[in-house]
Amino acid sequence: MLLHLVKKDLILAKKYLLVMLIFAIVAPIFINSKLGLSNGSFISFLTTVLFVEYILFNMISFQEDKYKGAALLCTTPYTRNGVIKAKYVFILVIFIACFLLYNLAAVIGASYGLTRLSIYSVGVALLIISVFFGILIPVQTKFGYEKTKYIFLIMIFLTPFTLPTIIEWYQSIDININIDLPIPQSIKDWIPFAIAVLMGLISMIISIRIYSRKNL
Amino acid sequence: MKAVLEVNNLKKELGSFSLEQLTFSLKEGCITGFIGVNGSGKTTTIKTILGLYPKDDGSIKFFGKDMEKNEYEIKNRIGVVLDEGYFYEEMTLKEMKSIIAPAYTNWDESVFLNYINRFNLKLNQKIATLSKGMRMKFAITLALSHHADLLIMDEPTSGLDPLIRNELMEILLDFMEEEGKSVFFSTHITSDLEKVADMLILIDNGKIVFNESKDELLERHALIKGDNRLINEHSTKLFLRLRQTPFGFEGITNKVDQVCEQMKDIIIERPSIEDVMLAYVKER
Amino acid sequence: MKIIIKNSSEQPLYQQIKDQIKGAILRQELKEGEKLPSIRSLANDLHVSVLTTKRVYEELEKEGFIITIVGKGSFVASENMEMLLESKRHLVEKKLSEVWQMARTLGINKEELYSMMDIIFEEDDE
Repeated sequence: MLLHLVKKDLILAKKYLLVMLIFAIVAPIFINSKLGLSNGSFISFLTTVLFVEYILFNMISFQEDKYKGAALLCTTPYTRNGVIKAKYVFILVIFIACFLLYNLAAVIGASYGLTRLSIYSVGVALLIISVFFGILIPVQTKFGYEKTKYIFLIMIFLTPFTLPTIIEWYQSIDININIDLPIPQSIKDWIPFAIAVLMGLISMIISIRIYSRKNL
Repeated sequence: MKAVLEVNNLKKELGSFSLEQLTFSLKEGCITGFIGVNGSGKTTTIKTILGLYPKDDGSIKFFGKDMEKNEYEIKNRIGVVLDEGYFYEEMTLKEMKSIIAPAYTNWDESVFLNYINRFNLKLNQKIATLSKGMRMKFAITLALSHHADLLIMDEPTSGLDPLIRNELMEILLDFMEEEGKSVFFSTHITSDLEKVADMLILIDNGKIVFNESKDELLERHALIKGDNRLINEHSTKLFLRLRQTPFGFEGITNKVDQVCEQMKDIIIERPSIEDVMLAYVKER
Repeated sequence: MKIIIKNSSEQPLYQQIKDQIKGAILRQELKEGEKLPSIRSLANDLHVSVLTTKRVYEELEKEGFIITIVGKGSFVASENMEMLLESKRHLVEKKLSEVWQMARTLGINKEELYSMMDIIFEEDDE
C-alpha cells in the first residue's frame, strides 16, 4: 500500500522527473569541473541531490495543496499515517536514484575529476538530506504549503553559499571525532547512515502526530 | 432493519461553526437523504464521520464497529464521493484509478470497466478536462468498484443538469437492488430525493432536526391553502410556516387533524420535501 | 397488477398500497404462490420509501395474504377459500356500513340508497 502512495508522488512529479534524472547525471560533472576543489565530488553530489529532491518534493506538495487529493485518499483504506510515511519513503527513493545516477556520472565524468564516493560520504549526504527534509516535512505539515514555501526558498538559495563553509567546518571537527572514537572504521563508516535514519524516523513520528489532528 | 451507521453525541468545532451533540443512525437497505440549506453543516458532518475532520467528542460506528479501531475494515466497505471530487487534476483517469484501486482488498476491475463503458469515459483523458457531470460519474465509478456496502456522497448532484441528476438517481436505485446496500447522501436539491429517498435527515445550524421515514414525514405534514379570514392569533399557532398574500394564505402544518377541525373551506395538499424542510429551517 | 397512488388522498400511502394488493389477491389477479416484487423494486416503481413497502408486506403477512421466505421473497399465500370469502364480504360490509352511516347523517333513506346502488350498477354495466 505504501509503495502505491509513493507511486502517486512519482506520477505527480512526472513532468519534471525525466529532466531531473538527466540533471542528476549532468549536474555533478558540471559542478565538480567548476568548483575544482579537492573534495569537489562530495559537494557536487550533495548539491545535486538537494536540488533534485527539493524541486520534486515541491512539485508534489504544490499539487497536493492545490487539489487536496489526500482527503480522497483518506476516505479509502489508505490512512493518514500512510500518506505521511510515503513522503519520507519518496525522499529515500529519490536519494537512492540520485546515488545510482551519480555513479553513472562518475564513470562518464572521470576525466573531469569526478570520483566515486565513500560509504561515509554518502552517509553524510543522506544525513544532511535527512536534516533538511526532517525539518521541512513537519513544518509543511503544520503550516501548509504556501507559508513553508517562502521560508525554505530563502534557505535553498543560501545553501550554495553556506554549504562549502559548513563542509569545511565539518571536516575540521571530523578529525577530532576520528581520534575520539575507539571503534573500527567499518562501523564508523555507517554512523552517518544510522543517525540519518534515526532523524528521519523522529521527524516522521512528529509529522504523523501533527497530521493526525489536521482537518483535511 | 440493522443500523449501518450510528453517530452518537458527535461534536466538532470548526472556526465559528460547530456540530453539537449530533445523534443519528442510518438503516440498512435504505437511501437516506441528508438535507439542509447551505452552511447548515452537511459537509462538516460527512467529513467528520469519515475521519477527514478529527472529531472533538462522541462516537461513530459503522456496521456496529468503532471507526477508530476498525478503520481499515470499515473503509473497505464504504464508497465515498466528495463534493469537489478531490482528484489530482493533472492525472489521467487511468492513473487516478491505479492509485485508488490497490487500496481496496476487493477491488473489481470488471465492475470498474463496466461503469467506464456505461458512462462513456475515456481512460486516457486528463481529469482536468472532464465536465462536471463526467467528473461526478468518474467519482461514482471509483466509489462503486469495490463492492461497497454503504455509499456516502456529499452533494453529488449540485451543479448538474436535471438529465444527469436523473441518471444518477437511476444508478442509485440500481445499486440498491442488491440486498444489504445502503446510501447516504447530502443535498440541498430536495427534488432529487422525492423519488428515491427512504429516510430523511434534516440538519440545521449544526443540529439534527428530524430523522424520519420520508413517507411518514410527508404524511404527518400538510400544505394548507385558504382564505386569509381563517388566519387569526389562535390558528397561526397551528402552522410551522405561514405565508400570506392579498389572495390568501399558504402554510405548512404538522397538526393536520386540528387544522381540519378548526378551519373550513381549505385545500389540503401533500407537501414537497422542500416545503417541510423550509418549515423547520430557522431564518438567519 | 395495477397500483395507483393518490397523493391527495387522506389515506396514508401504505394503506393505499396494501388495499390495492389485497384487492388484487381477492380478485385473484395475483394467483396462489405467485411471487410479489421485492420491497425495493416495488418502492422504486411506486416512488415510495422502502420502509413503506416493507410495512405493507409485513401487515399483509400478518393478515395471512402473503408469506415471506427469507432470501427468496414474498409469495401469495395458499388459498384459504373460507378466509378469502370471509374477508371479501368483510371488506364490502365495512364499506357499506360506512356508506349507510353517511347516508343516515345526511338524511338519505333506505329506498334512495337502493336506487343509488341501482344507478351505479347500471352505469357499470354500460
